[in-house]
Amino acid sequence: MKHNLWKLLAVLVLASMLLAACGGGAAGGDSGGEKVTTSGFVCPEPETQIDVTSQELNLFVWTEYIPAEWKECYELVYGVTINHDEYSSNEEMYAKLSAGGSNYDLVQPTDYIIGLMIRQGMLQELDQAKLPMANYDPNYLNLSFDPGNVYTVPYMAGNDAIIYNADTVTNPPTSFADLWNPEYAGRLVLLDDSRVIIGMTLLTLGYDVNTTDPDQLEEAKNKLAELVPGVKLFDSDSPKTALIAGDVDLGVTWTGEAFTAQQENPAFQFVYPTEGAFLWQDNWTMPVGAPHPDAAYAWINYTSQGNLFWLMLRDFPYIVPNKAALDYAKANETELYDAYMNSPITNVPQEAIEAGHAIEDVGDATPLYDQIWTEIKGGQ
Amino acid sequence: MLKRLRENKSSQGTLLITPTLVFMVGLLIIPLFLTLIISFGKRSADGNVIYTFGLHNYTRILGMNFECQNGQAVCFDPLYAQILWRSLTLAFNSTVLVILLAYPLAYFIARAHPKRRNTFLFMVLVPLWTNFVIRVYAWMMLLRTQGVINSVLGWLAGVVGIHFAPFEMLYTPGAVLVGMVYEFLPFMILPIFTSLEKIDNSLYEAAADLGANPIRTFLRVTLPLSMPGVVAGTILVFIPVMGTFIVSDLLGGKQVILIGNLIQRQFLDARDPTFGSAASLILMAMTLVVTFFYTRKFGFGEEIVAA
Amino acid sequence: MNPYKRSPLIKVATVLVYFFLYAPIIGLIVFAFNSSRTNVFFGGFINQWGPLQMEGSTVLQSPCGPFHWFCDLTKNQEVMSATRNTLTIAFISTISATVIGTMAALALQRYNFKLKAFSQISLYIPIVIPEIVMGIGILVLFSQVFTFLNSTLGLAGDSRLTLGLPTVVVSHIAFSVPFVTLVVQARLQGFDKSFEEAAMDLGANELVTFWRVTFPMILPGVLSGALLAFTLSLDDFVITFFTTGPGSTTLPIYVYGLLRRIITPQVNALSTIWVFVVVTIVFLLQRFQSQET
Repeated sequence: MKHNLWKLLAVLVLASMLLAACGGGAAGGDSGGEKVTTSGFVCPEPETQIDVTSQELNLFVWTEYIPAEWKECYELVYGVTINHDEYSSNEEMYAKLSAGGSNYDLVQPTDYIIGLMIRQGMLQELDQAKLPMANYDPNYLNLSFDPGNVYTVPYMAGNDAIIYNADTVTNPPTSFADLWNPEYAGRLVLLDDSRVIIGMTLLTLGYDVNTTDPDQLEEAKNKLAELVPGVKLFDSDSPKTALIAGDVDLGVTWTGEAFTAQQENPAFQFVYPTEGAFLWQDNWTMPVGAPHPDAAYAWINYTSQGNLFWLMLRDFPYIVPNKAALDYAKANETELYDAYMNSPITNVPQEAIEAGHAIEDVGDATPLYDQIWTEIKGGQ
Repeated sequence: MLKRLRENKSSQGTLLITPTLVFMVGLLIIPLFLTLIISFGKRSADGNVIYTFGLHNYTRILGMNFECQNGQAVCFDPLYAQILWRSLTLAFNSTVLVILLAYPLAYFIARAHPKRRNTFLFMVLVPLWTNFVIRVYAWMMLLRTQGVINSVLGWLAGVVGIHFAPFEMLYTPGAVLVGMVYEFLPFMILPIFTSLEKIDNSLYEAAADLGANPIRTFLRVTLPLSMPGVVAGTILVFIPVMGTFIVSDLLGGKQVILIGNLIQRQFLDARDPTFGSAASLILMAMTLVVTFFYTRKFGFGEEIVAA
Repeated sequence: MNPYKRSPLIKVATVLVYFFLYAPIIGLIVFAFNSSRTNVFFGGFINQWGPLQMEGSTVLQSPCGPFHWFCDLTKNQEVMSATRNTLTIAFISTISATVIGTMAALALQRYNFKLKAFSQISLYIPIVIPEIVMGIGILVLFSQVFTFLNSTLGLAGDSRLTLGLPTVVVSHIAFSVPFVTLVVQARLQGFDKSFEEAAMDLGANELVTFWRVTFPMILPGVLSGALLAFTLSLDDFVITFFTTGPGSTTLPIYVYGLLRRIITPQVNALSTIWVFVVVTIVFLLQRFQSQET
């Protein structure tokens, strides 16, 4: 019996080695000076020369937020291996980084958590001379969470607003306050985000979304408690799934989700509420102690090029703060460019931008928001 | 020295147990100790730990509210007690359902032909070898309003000619219960099987010879002898159900807040590791208490084991 | 009387429970052939072979036909590396935990030493403590230790101690050892020592006796323990979640992260392959078992 068991063990080991070998497929390759990825994309030359001596680059990024061609091209051009870890919430990223055990070169936090990270001394100042700031639209630079862009480079931006299915919702909402309409009960999906949902309740009461006043928050809590029984689910992972599947008909979601839902079913409409939507922006930052800063600067420069960044238009439907990419797309990928410009989801109307609100870190009041969140969700 | 090692049985034992001790103390006892220290601390403005000694986190969980609306010194805030109670009842219900489903299957396999037993057993293990998260996601596909189950039922209703309104199964506490039962069913089947397998066939024959009908045989022979397996299985099911957060997140639409969700949120969204640590330790204490009383009554199952 | 007779009620119940166990799996496998990329409804099978053609989010034609997502999977570097990590971690931690756990079981069943009671109790703790408690505790420990070591030893850049594959492996060993120990202990209870005594009488020393008498007799228990450790490691989410670092993402973590965006049928394809592999192994095991009986 021992004999057969060893045979079996050998088979198992062999099988898993085969599987592992399968994965190590080489990416594209050189064909006489031209670098091509496995999908047939021709890698552009780097516009700025940056010397990179590091062998690796450690990225800590959002799930599914980087075009595959970027990584392949970068690896081909610079010969640097990319280690790529993902997170699906800012809080997860923050917990990992603040635990101090990790070693990343670049991270993509959303604006509201950057102030906190700066205060905690987790981010290092960036050398502006090494960065292609000219590629970016000034409307997305020098914002309140990082004046002068000392720590950040813009990545992508978006909104949290109202989505509804025009086929099934006969009386469409135009403001956050409309969501409390009893005819929507049992058909709502809300983001599982305490700040956004409590914030939207605060807006309906006329208060500021970043308030720390306990009385105002108490009022918001009571108002929100009226809404919650009618909410079918809270989802910050993939609310479009429930919408497309017909489990819910309307709710609050973000730019990328709304665009994709609309693609699946053109009946979906994304509405910027009268109180003003929530604006957010994801940014590149470099944690303190990054082991390969030269590779990181090279990465930002290379991927910010118009002829590479335009892939974001193709893959991820968000607001693109990169002017160079939009110019490139206008000239070379007119279909994509038109789709981007024609949709109010990606090409946000000026009034909506001005009416919008940005979530900021509330420091000491954070547990209070969470307490409210637990109470309205847990007290059932 | 080797000779001394050979002769001294006690030091042989110590040598054998050393690697285990290193792991247990290093990765278990010390971290728990650290968690305990943190649970007494205070949260700083930015979510860091201020190391002091205070019982405020514990009083908060147990519901003692010192900022009462009506001017009393202390009043009861049921929020966390509700969450704990909800977790307990869910764990209890899941365990009972799991036992009901697992027992017949375990019995079937235990009394199957020896050659086929392993096949049946591995068939139980195969779903476990897919991915935990994917299995939950699969249930979402089945339970959706326009998911597989409702589609099949709708088609059947169409064939028979009855009007059918789809069942709203997903994003309810019921869905969470089904998900928990599904995830942990194999962990009950295996221990019950192990203790049932040990029952000698001659015992059944003897019972039959003495005139006992099948029900009597079951109640007075099978069931008592299988208790160690049931106990072991209960421990393997009850405890994880108390601490799981994914199932309630995905199948409950993030509306069913269990203690596991609460703890996870303290470390991530609320950035209050002191409160989260206290909640973790309370959870651990609860599971220890339940396990202690349970095993005292029913004995500790040595069969925490696959065949 | 047929010792293998069971009442029809039991048989019906068994079929129902097996059906309950496999219904989601079958659903998963069917959807692995879904032509709809968003994978919310089943859009039918892809029945055209040829260059890739899509209409919106439906795949009309694929070079791999209905197996489109399986081919897609091999191009997905993240899945491949996550699978590699998962298997590596599982193998290393299983072998280590089995060795350490078997040693511990022998120590606890057969020897008396000072820390015996303490060891036994500490082995029960990982079983009764919820994973999240353990995961967070380990994360806190590693961060403190690494911060301390990094600053005192002046490590920087790539040589800094961080979370990564080694930390995941170590934590997997930590939660697997107690299970292995319990399994082997159970096997050792009621162990007939007369065989060992006979061997020693015949002149074998302790090491030889162990290797040629004891070990083969406890081997089934050891293998069960190994199997359990392997299963636990393969599927672990919570503890791995808190102890991964750059480049050590495992499959469960990857899938959980993927829930954020569209889960394409790629994930279903992966599950299908996994099930297929496991079933094949089971089948082979059956062949070996029946060969020797």
